[in-house]
Amino acid sequence: MQESAIVLDDVQLTLSSRAGPVNVLRGVSLAIPQGESLALLGPSGSGKSSLLMISAGLEKPTSGRVVLAGTDITSLDEDALARLRRGTIGIVFQSFHLIATMTALENVALPLEFARAEHPFSRAREELDAVGLGQRADHYPGQLSGGEQQRVALARAMVARPRVLFADEPTGNLDTETGAEVAELLFALPARLGTTLFLVTHEEALARRCARILRLKDGAIVSDSRVAAAA
Amino acid sequence: MNAFGLAWRLARRELRSGLSGFRIFFASLVLGVAAIAAVGSLAQALLSGLADNGRAILGGDVAIESVHWPLTPEQRAFAQSQGTISQTISMRAMSYALANGRSGARQLIQLKAVDAHYPLYGNVGLSPPISLNAALACGQDSICSAAVEQTLLDRIHLARGGSMRIGNQDFRVSAVLTDEPDRLSGGFSLGPHVIISTGALARTGLVAIGSLIEYDTRVRLPPGASIATFRQEAKARFPDAGWQIRDRDHAAPGTDQFIKQISVFLTLAGLTALAVGGVGAGQAVRAFLDRKREEIATLKALGADGRLVFLIFFLQVMTIAVLAAVAGIVAGAAIPFLVALFYGAEIPVPAHFGFFIAPLLLAFVFGILSAAAFAIPPLARAREIPAAGLFRDLVQPARGRGRLPYLAAAAGAGVAIIALALVFSPSLSFSLWFLACAGGGLIALALVSAAIGFALRRLPPASQPALRLALANMTRPGSATAAVVTALGLGLSLLATVTILDNTISHGVNESLPGTAPSFYFVDIQPSDAPAFDKTIAHFASARDYRRTPMIRGRIVALNGVPATRAKVARDSRWALNGDRGITYAAQEPKDTQLTAGHWWPAHYRGPTLVSFDAELARGMGLKVGDTLTVNVLGREIEGRIANLRDVDFSTGRQNYVLILSPGLIDKAPHSFLATVHVAPRDEDALYRAVTDHFPSVSTVRVRDVIAQLDLVLEKLAFSVRAASLVTILAGLLVLASAIAAGLRARLYDSTVMKVIGATRAQIARIYALEYALIGALTGILALGAGAAAASLVTRRVFEVPPVIDWSSVLLAVAGGAILTVVLGLAITWSALAARPAQQLRNL
Repeated sequence: MQESAIVLDDVQLTLSSRAGPVNVLRGVSLAIPQGESLALLGPSGSGKSSLLMISAGLEKPTSGRVVLAGTDITSLDEDALARLRRGTIGIVFQSFHLIATMTALENVALPLEFARAEHPFSRAREELDAVGLGQRADHYPGQLSGGEQQRVALARAMVARPRVLFADEPTGNLDTETGAEVAELLFALPARLGTTLFLVTHEEALARRCARILRLKDGAIVSDSRVAAAA
Repeated sequence: MNAFGLAWRLARRELRSGLSGFRIFFASLVLGVAAIAAVGSLAQALLSGLADNGRAILGGDVAIESVHWPLTPEQRAFAQSQGTISQTISMRAMSYALANGRSGARQLIQLKAVDAHYPLYGNVGLSPPISLNAALACGQDSICSAAVEQTLLDRIHLARGGSMRIGNQDFRVSAVLTDEPDRLSGGFSLGPHVIISTGALARTGLVAIGSLIEYDTRVRLPPGASIATFRQEAKARFPDAGWQIRDRDHAAPGTDQFIKQISVFLTLAGLTALAVGGVGAGQAVRAFLDRKREEIATLKALGADGRLVFLIFFLQVMTIAVLAAVAGIVAGAAIPFLVALFYGAEIPVPAHFGFFIAPLLLAFVFGILSAAAFAIPPLARAREIPAAGLFRDLVQPARGRGRLPYLAAAAGAGVAIIALALVFSPSLSFSLWFLACAGGGLIALALVSAAIGFALRRLPPASQPALRLALANMTRPGSATAAVVTALGLGLSLLATVTILDNTISHGVNESLPGTAPSFYFVDIQPSDAPAFDKTIAHFASARDYRRTPMIRGRIVALNGVPATRAKVARDSRWALNGDRGITYAAQEPKDTQLTAGHWWPAHYRGPTLVSFDAELARGMGLKVGDTLTVNVLGREIEGRIANLRDVDFSTGRQNYVLILSPGLIDKAPHSFLATVHVAPRDEDALYRAVTDHFPSVSTVRVRDVIAQLDLVLEKLAFSVRAASLVTILAGLLVLASAIAAGLRARLYDSTVMKVIGATRAQIARIYALEYALIGALTGILALGAGAAAASLVTRRVFEVPPVIDWSSVLLAVAGGAILTVVLGLAITWSALAARPAQQLRNL
């Protein structure tokens, strides 16, 4: 059997609010094999982002077990999780979240620097070339268009050759044409390296380019289907 | 690369954005460090000037001082055997301008007679630049020459070349005295200085037995000779000599001590400014980190652990702190040069302006430690920002207090500041008091402002909309109220304290003292002149409280047989054992005497010497009625038994003696008389003229002139103290600016929403102005209360009088602070008022 990149076992997440406790996730169990692309669909407030955060070790579940790249992360503390993330996962956000005071190249090199990897800048330059932004390496985020910023963010997420790429509405802030360009890269780069793709999206068309689609409603998985011909 | 190296690399990238977001942090530190560096450098310039000129100020390597009597031939031979000697004789005297051979204007002077070797070190400045010998020569016409200060010529309306009389001798003013190298070691003088030759002094007839005359023998030691050896030999050869030996390393101990004390106060005021500024700096760091929270969350999402996040921003903040501290010490080092440029002529000390590493380094360390103490807590909180916030609409600001090790480090930096301040302070108890008051003041203001916030939140909503919104702004989370009330409040409290203290001291000098003090002091009345002198005074109908007492100088040398140098004496009573004191004798209990223990001796008592002693000193020296005191008068030791203890109040300005002895033995010693009298202001000039006309050898001190002189000194002192409190207020204003700037985003949002629903800019400005006015008024009232409490503590404990509050000046100081709050607040919030709603709505 193929090794799982992510395993969730009866994961519950309850957040407290002024109106009382809110059950964000209600007993989610899931296994995502290494190299698989998975799209998470669901209406706003269904728990998509929370499921991504728990899977990426950014949020702790109220109960249940989470295994990321073979490591049970349920009991790890904040700093241990940060160290695990360095080489294991990459994240692409809807709002890019590039560091404004760093150039594109420095932004991309950052995860390698955190991981104390060798030659972070030459590897970062290669990654920028791979997303077609080699000539913009010395530009600051403020000097780049939205599409370019997201391509830098994608290069940053992939530069450490992560086991899993998490993408949270990666084209949500982009126009159709730019969104399509980013989507191309989003699927091509992980596929080339055998990286698992965990995509949270509202767009049905984008989701259908994944091998597997999970639908979430009120914190529970309501369907788990395979797409016949994934991109 | 280790974590530190990586953090430093990332911090450097962050620093590319320059000082953006750090201007107030930078300014707060520069201000505090500059103030401390300036005070330290100035004090060092003055102290090193004193130290470098020790020989010239003292007039030799060693100076032997004796009062009443010159050195004996044996003592003089000993001094001569040690090196070259120069002898000077100093006293107070009256000078009379001579016009057509008649006495005209007259003035009390500080007279110094010098020999041919004077000065052993340094040069006497004369205008015109003639030699001192020529300036002091006595001519064939029996007229001698004198060098005098310009002030004397101005006061007795004389020009250079003019004639004056001192005692029985006429003098011609040969030159104006512009520089007297040993002036500082002479201490406080009541009149202009005049230098004559010792030969001329003998002709004046002023040197009489019992006159208050100081004989100084200065010795220039050969190179390499040891001062310690000199002292040892002098003590071994003349163990009972009633002299005082000073040396070049302690040439002007009083001035030295004064500079150190004032610099302690100003340094502590600078530290308060740094602490107040630190509140602003901490706030600026918190606001900066608030803006960086998305970035911090991103760094964490990319794998940075909390420690690395802390290090990145800590290094960034501390790099800016180092730059600010360097800017502060550069500014602080430059300030003494500006002082020299503009006020150099008024500095009475031979200052050596230059760059002094020690005070600059100390100011730098204070700056860095305070930056760390105030920046670490918000940095420790920022370390805890979770990466998960990136997936929500807003990354929440850092909450909680941060982890214990970080908070301990911040507290450690704070403790280090206090420890350094105490270690480098020459007055530990004063520094402890000051720091305790400033710290207590800060805590009290913080608690009161928190209590007021709590109470305001519970008020029923005001019906007036502007007031309702202003009150809501004052109490909402993250409002500037607490920080401003605390920080600006401390500065204003200090100003209020200083203003009240200034009022109290000025009142004491200008109102209370003239009420109790006599109008004149008459020194050196010879016994033969005494009856005539009494008659002259009696001639004035308005003369009252006339008191003429014998005046003998003597030193307390033993307490209950134990030498004074070895006796256990409280610190505040030690002064009475250092050097000569005025001693009198009396058969009957003087008027207004308040005995606290024992009884006065019978009027005709002539037995073994009895002593009436100051009750407070007796407490400090552990003495009681029945104990013995030994005094050395003119080289002879007299032991007396304490018969009674008295309350002595020096603040009245009346004649006061620590020691009053019973007659029988002491009255045989040669002595002169001291007299005081109170006359109506209209008779002052006539009495002055009558006494000085008939008794040219009597030194007449007009108390009004002394008070004016004292007032001038106090005014200068008050200026420097006010300047120090203004620095603290400036630091408080920076906190205000930082607090308002931190809330600007919320203001922008509020004003946009208010404009959308129809508010005009004027209406919004009114709301903000009302809010700032309320904060300013609150701060002012609290500062007034705190200032009055602190001032009352000082006046009651130190001066033992109630505080005198001049409400108009105190209110002006406090109202000024409140008005500044409104003006500064509106100026900073102006951008929020001016913003166009459409543009803002797109960004909201």
